[in-house]
Amino acid sequence: MRRANIYSGGFLALLGLAMILFVIPAQIEEGPAGMMSPRLVPQMIMGLMTALSVMLVVRNLMLPDDGEGSPVSRSEYIALLKIGSVFALALVLFYFAGPLWAGLAIVLGSLLALGERRPLVLVLMPIALLAGVWVLFYRVLGTAIL
Amino acid sequence: MTLKRRALLALAVAATGLAALPALAQDYPNKPITMLVGYNAGGQTDLVARGAAQVLSQELGQPINVVNVPGAGGVVSAKKLQESPNDGYTIMFHANSVVNSAPFLMKRVDFKPDDFEWGGFITAYQGGLVAPADAPYNDLAEFVAWAKENPNFAYGALSPEARMYMNEIAKKNDLKANIVPLNSGGEMINAILGHQVVMALSGGIHAKYPDQIKMLATLTTFRHSNAPEVKSIDDFGYSLAMDTRAGIMAPKGTDPAIMAKLSAALAKCETDESFQKIVAAANIPIIYMDAAAAKAEMEATFAKNGEIYKSAGVEPQ
Amino acid sequence: MQALIGGFAEVFTFSTMFWIVTGVTVGYILGVLPGLGKATGVAVSIPLTFYLHPVAAIAMLIGIAKGSTAGGAVSAILLNTPGEPSSAPTALDGYPLARQGKAGKALKMGLYASVIGDLLSTIVLIGLAAPLASYALLIGPVELCAILVFSLTFIGGLSGKSLIKGLIAGCLGIAFSTVGLEIETFIPRLTFGMLELDDGVKLVPMAIGMLAVAEMIVQAGNIRKLDAETAEIGKSNRREDRNLSLEDWKVCAMPIIRGTFIGTVIGILPGLGASVASFLSYGAARRAADRPEEFGTGRIEGVAAAESADNAVIPSSLVPLFALGIPGSVIAAILIAAFVLHGLTPGPLMFKENPTMVAAVYASMLCASLAMLVVGSLGQPIFARIARFPIRLIIPGVLLLCCVGAYMETSSLFSIYIMLIFALIGFFAKKFDYSFVTFLIGFVIGPQVELTFRQSLQLLNHDPTRLLQHPIAAVFIVITLVTLVLMARSRRNQPEAPGVATTKSLNQGGEI
Repeated sequence: MRRANIYSGGFLALLGLAMILFVIPAQIEEGPAGMMSPRLVPQMIMGLMTALSVMLVVRNLMLPDDGEGSPVSRSEYIALLKIGSVFALALVLFYFAGPLWAGLAIVLGSLLALGERRPLVLVLMPIALLAGVWVLFYRVLGTAIL
Repeated sequence: MTLKRRALLALAVAATGLAALPALAQDYPNKPITMLVGYNAGGQTDLVARGAAQVLSQELGQPINVVNVPGAGGVVSAKKLQESPNDGYTIMFHANSVVNSAPFLMKRVDFKPDDFEWGGFITAYQGGLVAPADAPYNDLAEFVAWAKENPNFAYGALSPEARMYMNEIAKKNDLKANIVPLNSGGEMINAILGHQVVMALSGGIHAKYPDQIKMLATLTTFRHSNAPEVKSIDDFGYSLAMDTRAGIMAPKGTDPAIMAKLSAALAKCETDESFQKIVAAANIPIIYMDAAAAKAEMEATFAKNGEIYKSAGVEPQ
Repeated sequence: MQALIGGFAEVFTFSTMFWIVTGVTVGYILGVLPGLGKATGVAVSIPLTFYLHPVAAIAMLIGIAKGSTAGGAVSAILLNTPGEPSSAPTALDGYPLARQGKAGKALKMGLYASVIGDLLSTIVLIGLAAPLASYALLIGPVELCAILVFSLTFIGGLSGKSLIKGLIAGCLGIAFSTVGLEIETFIPRLTFGMLELDDGVKLVPMAIGMLAVAEMIVQAGNIRKLDAETAEIGKSNRREDRNLSLEDWKVCAMPIIRGTFIGTVIGILPGLGASVASFLSYGAARRAADRPEEFGTGRIEGVAAAESADNAVIPSSLVPLFALGIPGSVIAAILIAAFVLHGLTPGPLMFKENPTMVAAVYASMLCASLAMLVVGSLGQPIFARIARFPIRLIIPGVLLLCCVGAYMETSSLFSIYIMLIFALIGFFAKKFDYSFVTFLIGFVIGPQVELTFRQSLQLLNHDPTRLLQHPIAAVFIVITLVTLVLMARSRRNQPEAPGVATTKSLNQGGEI
């Protein structure tokens, strides 16, 4: 965890600084006089976070190297990529083809991405899930979500 | 594609469109209608909207699906409505403050009444300035007199409008007010019942507590159904009354014939028993306006509210 | 007492019982489904109740509220997807238990803790509604601010292996909670011009993204190992993994009692809500435990503490409603409409004008608690089968439910984007071991602290000496200071190695 702490702490410290110096002044206006400034709490909390992150980095730098690698394994990065692509595809389909296709893409896409190849499952599961959602909202609850 | 062919094509499309239009309005509706509501499910406006949807679907013979699109007091929902096709199958049930108030308070909102078609209003909100029932003042004039003796009193405000009212009253009478921000109607009731604030602006929820809360002045031009003796803030010499009504709006360019159908169906709410029950439970009066009256009301209140906010020096944020 | 017996007589009719059970069942199912909550359920059902007898109508609505709160635990335990935001802490230990093959045990404890918390809190409502309510009004913004600041000290106890990282996560939570219109000046903060952010980042899509979607991604990355484990779960069908032992009851007794107490008190205080209660109760159980570092790896007390508090909030949040007509929660606010619709005006007069009706409502609430036990017991074996499916079949279904749940909240794709962004944050937070609990506490309590502080400034007229007129607040400020000093001392006495926590195995790390 030592190296992970140094990297993540460094990242968060930089993020905090960027928020204080650039984002908060640009995104939050000064309030009228006589009221607590709307910037106060975000600035305070980002300052605290930056300080804590610096502390995390410093304290871990003082520890001996524990030889641990990245806490995220290769297969986890691949999974992130796979699921991310499934969502990206679903979003594109949502805009250009409609919600039904997006839902189909999520179920079918993730089934395929995770290595499911049995045709029966690939056909039945999306149908069953989407039909279930439809029955629940449009029939049972009598409300529309789309 | 040559220019000529393109023009011809456009003409053809326009022609078929024209031919189709009357038929469209005549069959309307021949499929379910989506009704957007810009507040969360379970709120007062949502309850009224669902009640109205019931009546509309009986009248029009098609199901009406209520979809809650909360955000920024209905602005998010109204923007979604603007982007929807103007075929009459996407309408919105909401408070008209989203058009006649929001643009003056929010920099990023530039709605005007003629950005939408108006299908009539069915209910009105009964806002007022309220105080604990045992307070030593009974109307706004008495409150002002009391407040002069008791500077730094606490006033509860849950919206920019509410701040504006107190600022205007304070400016005119040289009062010193501490304005306490409140998050919700429930919190406002708490603050009044717990005597943490001496006065607050209520959107109408106070009517549920007739024995514990009294109204000092209405913020509407009309007298309230549940407290007809209370005078309007205009009667106390401020000219700040702003009416807010709930009803149907549709994307710009929706066929007037469709709007007329919706407006006629909405009128049936007036006599529908279960709708009456719903609004009575929420202490909301039914004040019907048809499509034409609604449009005129929007033009008038938009100009009036803009003037009020401007003279009060309220800058859109 | 006489009235209560009369009330029971009114409730023990076939139709009333039928509607109570229906309400609980519908609620339970809604609770299991992420994103569909009690507010939606009750709001959609109110029009249905026009056609019912008033007692049956109100009983059904309260049944929905109770059932969905209990149901939230099921998906939290089985899928790491809290069905209701307030069930998020249940997932922290419930899900590891399910992965160890002890889903049956965790589900049972979740249900029993819910029922006990609910029942006791209902009894508090019945016994104390009128006398307690007069005190509720003593708690104004100034007092609430002091109490909230005190509760923030719990973050220290909750932050897991590294205090610094826990605090960093808490800061991030507060930072995200400041997004949206600031309530006093109405100036938008960090919205980047997006109107959808004016009301802030919504808890449901955020929690779904951070907890469920992130978890599914991690699982997808470890699919082989998990499938092997699932096969193990399938083989080891041990009785003791499905049932609660005397030992389990012994360790859970105190957390349940404490959780019920916390939930009941928080329910009576207006505006805090079930999420705050379940997190505080979970934190308190962890602090009280002899080996707090084991929390998050599948301690049954974690489930018991969170669920008992979660469910205890529902009945007690009706105390201010019944006694004063003040809604103490969203659900109470929605119920007002239903009460009035059926000719009952909530408030002190209700007890005088309609004693039998009030008694009938009380009786039906007690019945709903028991109905919850029956419905839950019958439903659990069906739901528990989910845990036996291979992961690659579960993930697609959960991802779809996540999308539907997140979408539901605002009926727009915007929530889906929020969910995806927080899925990414959640993924890295999980792998780099930043506490999700402190993040959420910061997110939930942060804005309340700021608002009540702003209110206090105005109410005290910017004059700190006026605090003396608020003794309750003063007491809590003192307690907070003492707690901080004590915590600082105990930390100094046992220096911790910062961040040497390791997530050796996916499921031993626990901290989400």
